Amino acid sequence: MKHYDAVVIGAGNAGLTAATALQRGGSRTLLLERHNIPGGCATSFVRGDFEFEVALHQLSGLGTKDKPFVMRQLFDKLGVLDKVEFVQEHDLYRLVVPGELDVTLPASWTGLRNLLQGMFPAESEAIERFLLVCEKVSLEGFMTLPKARKANSDAALQSLCPYYVQYGFRSARDVLDEFFSDAKLKNVLATYWLYLGVPPSMLPFPDLAVMLYAYAVFKPWHIKGGSQAMSTALVESFLEAGGEVRFNCGVEKILTEDGRVCAVRLEGGERVSCDAVVSNASPLITFNELLDLERPPLAIQQDFKSRRMGTSAFVIYLGLDCTPQELGVTAASSFIYETLDEEQIHDRMGTLQTPLGGMLTCYNFEDPSAAPPGKSQVMLVCLQYGDVWKSVAPEDYARTKYDFAEKLIALIEKVYPKVRQYIEEVEVATPLTMMRYLNTPGGAIYGFQQSAQDSALLRERLDGVPGLYIAGSWTSMGGFQPTYMAGESTARAVLKQLKVKEVEHV
Amino acid sequence: MSEQNLLNSIAGFREAWQAKEALERSGTDFHEIKGEVASTVVQLHPKRLELEVAEVIDETASTRTLRLVATDHSLLPPFQAGQYINLFVEIDGVATARPYAISSSPSQRVYYDLTVKRAQGGFVSNYLLDRVAAGQRFLSSGPMGTFHHNPLYHGDDLVFLAGGSGGAPARSILLDILDRGLSHRFHLVYVNSYIDDVIFDDEFRELANRHENFTLSEVISRPPTGYWGYTGRLTEELLQRLLGDIGNKMFYICGPTPFNDNCVELLTRLGVKRRRIRVEANGAPKAPNEQTGWPEGVSLDDEVTVTVRGRGSFRSRVGEPLLNALERNGYGTENACRSGECSLCRVKLVSGAVFNPQEAHLRKSDRDFGWIYSCVAFPTGDIEIQL
Repeated sequence: MKHYDAVVIGAGNAGLTAATALQRGGSRTLLLERHNIPGGCATSFVRGDFEFEVALHQLSGLGTKDKPFVMRQLFDKLGVLDKVEFVQEHDLYRLVVPGELDVTLPASWTGLRNLLQGMFPAESEAIERFLLVCEKVSLEGFMTLPKARKANSDAALQSLCPYYVQYGFRSARDVLDEFFSDAKLKNVLATYWLYLGVPPSMLPFPDLAVMLYAYAVFKPWHIKGGSQAMSTALVESFLEAGGEVRFNCGVEKILTEDGRVCAVRLEGGERVSCDAVVSNASPLITFNELLDLERPPLAIQQDFKSRRMGTSAFVIYLGLDCTPQELGVTAASSFIYETLDEEQIHDRMGTLQTPLGGMLTCYNFEDPSAAPPGKSQVMLVCLQYGDVWKSVAPEDYARTKYDFAEKLIALIEKVYPKVRQYIEEVEVATPLTMMRYLNTPGGAIYGFQQSAQDSALLRERLDGVPGLYIAGSWTSMGGFQPTYMAGESTARAVLKQLKVKEVEHV
Repeated sequence: MSEQNLLNSIAGFREAWQAKEALERSGTDFHEIKGEVASTVVQLHPKRLELEVAEVIDETASTRTLRLVATDHSLLPPFQAGQYINLFVEIDGVATARPYAISSSPSQRVYYDLTVKRAQGGFVSNYLLDRVAAGQRFLSSGPMGTFHHNPLYHGDDLVFLAGGSGGAPARSILLDILDRGLSHRFHLVYVNSYIDDVIFDDEFRELANRHENFTLSEVISRPPTGYWGYTGRLTEELLQRLLGDIGNKMFYICGPTPFNDNCVELLTRLGVKRRRIRVEANGAPKAPNEQTGWPEGVSLDDEVTVTVRGRGSFRSRVGEPLLNALERNGYGTENACRSGECSLCRVKLVSGAVFNPQEAHLRKSDRDFGWIYSCVAFPTGDIEIQL
């Protein structure tokens, strides 16, 4: 039987950064992936002349070469910074509510302030204060809150995190209402909720603040060759460090001995022994299905009980035989609402009725290499909960999928009326597609629902089984930056533990 | 001081904590959905189907249809007319597979028909035609592929240019339209070499007589003397005559590679936009050395050594697609389309060079980091790969 220091289950973002950090940290690591390609969400597929990005809209946390931020350091540490090329996006987003609103926010902190103050002069002073609060809450959440928690002193918390103390667990809706009276200004500032899938009333204010601040200051980025390029680069770095990867290789069981992880059993029966398992699969599958215990430890059951299933997504990948200009695209990312009421938009996400909010990302608007010359790579998305799709009979699935795609296209057509006439390639992904490729209950793309009570600050690590670690969107915020970071920080915890073990053995 | 107490002074923390406790009282540990992901996905996209030949139907001298049912007699997964399954076979100790378009209608899911035409020297087609009988069992992939009608943009004016066994997916798409009572117009331009080797000819003629929205144009490229129908290769003039106004027609092409290439060229000359033409994938190219980028001085008959890291090595011909060579030598990878599209047979090229033909729909990062699709990769020198 083969033995590894660590086995990583799943080559999604967190699995990839965990495996790479582990192997580069000197731990002999086996990375296992059910599919034939690494990435999970962070992948691409080819149809005709197009290579479609599957999931990455805007990579955050990178910063510019002159003003680098955490992700640049992380990628450097993982040996992939020189293996991929990043492309900067110059706008945060365009928000269009036909007949009501059409605004494009620049990816610049001062540009953003100036634009909003110009549009909403009556709220000028409130805008100034609000943006300051976003900045302070973001920075405190990242830098000083961990210090205050370590010090475990109220005095430290009050002095190090004055803004976090004032806003840290309030909803985005609550804080926006406190600052502004113009409803449309609130719409414009809250738009990123549609990336996360919880409406402003449920969205923790710090999540919104950090998205606005981080994207505006550290810029939104694409990757040449899509997020797949980063996934493949991470595998390359992992292999260069001596790691072993197996694709088309699912895990059947995580085996324990005296309550401690000792091995995994692969599909087909092979047993691989190890000191630690990092699971990039959802904790629900990990604890309820993969782990060889009848029931997971009580603390984990308790944790699950206070969780709710997060959102999935409905996506249309379009290869268009026209340029972004012919399509009328003026910013890479557009959000389109049918109504100004975000709660209504959110309510629709649980149904098969016409979506009231959606987005369009045009990848070759800022990166010409993302489509063949004269053509466009475009993604239409509306977030959706998976439940309603589970009850679609298999024989009705294709029809249901195309019917719903028609509805999403109809929404997008209100702003981009030519989107249908140039179609050369199209692929449609439903929550069941997400379920198939991500192996997540409900086809969840960000893990559990990210409302305030989901916060990691309210929870213990899911570490009830020694040697078993969870890394991914389910135990942190969803999205690219958080999952990349979660994998790397999990690897650090594993390395520390493995070192302790080593010392015990000496 | 407990951490919870510390965080209590953050605005909203207490409320969030209480909300969490309320959820905990009303929630479950998700034990009730154990296995749900797998059982949901398998209904639509099983990794493997266990099939049994219920019947072998003689179609023509060169062609038979294998009617396959689930070994447990359950309903098969739904598919979109035009899609294929990859049929796994073991022939004289060699485990390999071939994709075949389903020729039956998706309106019934008791069986899939695979209509197999004998390929000259074909390793698998000859086996399926000569050595397979009712009762034999196979594994296959689930239904896959993008060569099907897409209601989002294909419209309802459809033309299918089929050469020989290309009649198989054409039949499925046609039957789907008729079974569902759709008003789509479907024009099948069906080109065959010999008048006595036309698959589904009687059935197609009979359906064309009965259904106004189905037009059948038969072309025989090597007609007997006195044949009265359309003859010879497809030409621009003939297509123009058969099709009339191009309008917003959607074209589907499925046949041998030279036929497909010719059809695309003719349609392009008639002013059809490339985005209105779908061409079915057709396996690895027979003459990769005729494509641009083929290295000078390398011949298809040259011999090279293929090393599978940590497992062994073997000699192979340059002109044999790597996946076939691997299988012949007792190795293998997951695979499905065997035409460079699905990417399931992706392997890492550790050293050496392969030729990736235009059929290889590689991702940018595959090229950058040396991953190849073994079904259409041709080793042009000694190589080492990692399986």
